[in-house]
Amino acid sequence: MEKIERIRVGGLKVLEGGACVVSSSPSGGNRLGEKICAPLALNRINLSLLAHVAGDREVLCTAAPEGESALSRLQFHAGPDSSLELLPGTIVLAVYPHSNRPEIIGHFIRSLARGRIKIHALASSPSAISAVLSSRRKKAAVNQLFEHFLFPSFDSPRDFFSAQGPPEEYVQKVVATYQEKVIKVYAIIPRPDLDLWGMSVPSADVLEGFASALMDLAGLGLSVPFLVAIPGLGGKEFLLSFSLAGPTPEADHGPEVRRLLKKHLPDSRPMRLTPVAGIFLHGPHFGDRYGIAYTLLQALAQARVTLLALSCTISSISLIIRQHELALAQMVLGKTFEAQVE
Amino acid sequence: MADKKYVLIVDDDPDLVETVSMILESKGYDVGKAYDGIEGEEAIKKRRPDVLVLDVMMPRKNGYQLCKELKSNKWTSDIPVILLTAVGEAVPTTTYTHAEGMSVEAEDFIPKPVDAKTLVEAVERLL
Repeated sequence: MEKIERIRVGGLKVLEGGACVVSSSPSGGNRLGEKICAPLALNRINLSLLAHVAGDREVLCTAAPEGESALSRLQFHAGPDSSLELLPGTIVLAVYPHSNRPEIIGHFIRSLARGRIKIHALASSPSAISAVLSSRRKKAAVNQLFEHFLFPSFDSPRDFFSAQGPPEEYVQKVVATYQEKVIKVYAIIPRPDLDLWGMSVPSADVLEGFASALMDLAGLGLSVPFLVAIPGLGGKEFLLSFSLAGPTPEADHGPEVRRLLKKHLPDSRPMRLTPVAGIFLHGPHFGDRYGIAYTLLQALAQARVTLLALSCTISSISLIIRQHELALAQMVLGKTFEAQVE
Repeated sequence: MADKKYVLIVDDDPDLVETVSMILESKGYDVGKAYDGIEGEEAIKKRRPDVLVLDVMMPRKNGYQLCKELKSNKWTSDIPVILLTAVGEAVPTTTYTHAEGMSVEAEDFIPKPVDAKTLVEAVERLL
């Protein structure tokens, strides 16, 4: 039996009592803003996670009682070519900090894949990697994570579960909802000189191959500041999109990355867009307040900045745009949000 | 390394820990990280911080509890504590109150989301 070397990380988090909506539409424009986020904001529906890849699809999570409502609002606004699917009874499971290290993100995905735990979606924040899973698989997933990671606060899954507060405590946290005239964020951090990779795999079942590729990428000294994975409808096909950064912007690791991806996922056709830039909005706490993602998307659309990919999870928003639009995007986000802009 | 002032951040929001540590490291501080009250307590035992930046709402042991314990222990009572809190008039439904915060004798309160300048100024004031 293969000996698993456990990686030490800071902690893990489970956000329970959720529902997930998978949405797909071939239409472009500001569809995510106007057809998805606007109706949710208008109906004061909070998002606990949102992952999107431009021109194709997105997955969003909300509190379970809001799931049906979110679906019906989206159905009302969806175009004839859109498809929507509700996955009730989901959790968001996150490990942190990943420190942009591909081996940590790879280890996370591998641990769930080896436990045959179906991943509905993946999304990264500046510090954490999150997976959307069925709530029925919560214990199995946490057990798997303990086999692959060391957590300083907990010796075992049992320790972890016994430390979880009662549901009332979670509710008290969630009801701490407030709206600001200007949304505050801790910081808006730009990150130029990234690659954006995109590839489709037949299902979440082959994610272990992707995890292995990520672990090999660590050997090239690459970091992963951004990652989302979104299912197709009915769990068929899985879209992966992630950004890579090299130790120096000059070095081109593209061919080697492509080789490693093909090695572990031979049927995939990885596509690469370069250069792109990331913008990381630390801490708008979108999960506690409706409408934050919509505010962001409106601002970008008005400035005609094209969003390539988006991840909202934990308390931050990460977005990928074309590099030449970075200065414009920074300016518009600096005006939209109250933040220290680096 | 030893002459760098050491600031410990304790918060269950990993993105906030990341942000605050980035801000403080850029100002030349040595930064420690912990993700809940008990882990924070352990971190303090290992290395005494020059300033403790402590979230209020955390699992296992909240910031008020940890602050109260530190202030009632003669070995740790003089560690300056900055409480980060979403508690305020804008959050009337929370069970964490300002009155409770005042009673635990923290040196400073900063409402979330944290303004980087305010935080750095608060840390520098306490060093």
